[in-house]
Amino acid sequence: MRKWLVGCFLCCWLWIFLICSLAMQVLICRNEAEKCLIETSINSLRISLKVKQADELENILAKKFLRFLSMRAEAFQVLRRKPVQGYDISFLITNYHCEELQKQKLIDFIVQFMEDIDKEISELKMSVSTRGRLVATEFLKQF
Amino acid sequence: MMAGAEKFVEADNAEAIITRIEHKSRKIESLLKQNKPVEALKTALEGSSHMIRDERCKSANWIVVHRALMAIKDVEGMFSSLDPEYYDILMKYLYRGLSTGDRPTCDQCLRIHEKLTERAGLGCILRSLADTVITV
Repeated sequence: MRKWLVGCFLCCWLWIFLICSLAMQVLICRNEAEKCLIETSINSLRISLKVKQADELENILAKKFLRFLSMRAEAFQVLRRKPVQGYDISFLITNYHCEELQKQKLIDFIVQFMEDIDKEISELKMSVSTRGRLVATEFLKQF
Repeated sequence: MMAGAEKFVEADNAEAIITRIEHKSRKIESLLKQNKPVEALKTALEGSSHMIRDERCKSANWIVVHRALMAIKDVEGMFSSLDPEYYDILMKYLYRGLSTGDRPTCDQCLRIHEKLTERAGLGCILRSLADTVITV
């Protein structure tokens, strides 16, 4: 009986030790403003991104655009509805996703997503500036 | 793994390790003055795989390795003279550098990371991230 109890106790401690040693974080920064946090656990992975926001306009555009995407998280499956504190967008990839979807394609998707976010925000910024210029020109014509 | 005997270092030997790191730092400065950045990096990486648990020792060693890393101008040339046994520990320090967020450090680390992954492969990345015994 005593041996069995000691055995159980040891198993619990080993299990807790294993869980703690499996959970880890990797932070990769490109510079002060752009970074990526990868947090692992036994059955899932959380990837959080902070995108480049050079000025106030990009800040607002990034916030609105990423919020738009996060609200439609079900369509993306691996996207998280709420980003992790301090980041702009988060992905949550679980073991179920790895079983249903191909791992390489998942990685390609996330990389493509990151490239597209930057491209999209630049295009949005350009279209806002163009529109602002057009509106100002039209308005000032009357003077 | 590294040249020389692997010693198990206890926390109360931290002062001895820090003295050794300071000595290493002086050696590295002199190597950099002689325009030998690869030798300086090798000196900085040596001894890092010993069991170091003290955070101060890790930080002190990181400062020394950082100094050597930032002095590297020719990354391709560096890899032609760096032994493969240093690849794993270098990768660990690159990830530490990438987590700092400092722009020049991150730029240099990303540059070296690209070339190191080409040379050492994805296994090197996995080994350096998964190793919980020897951390930097």
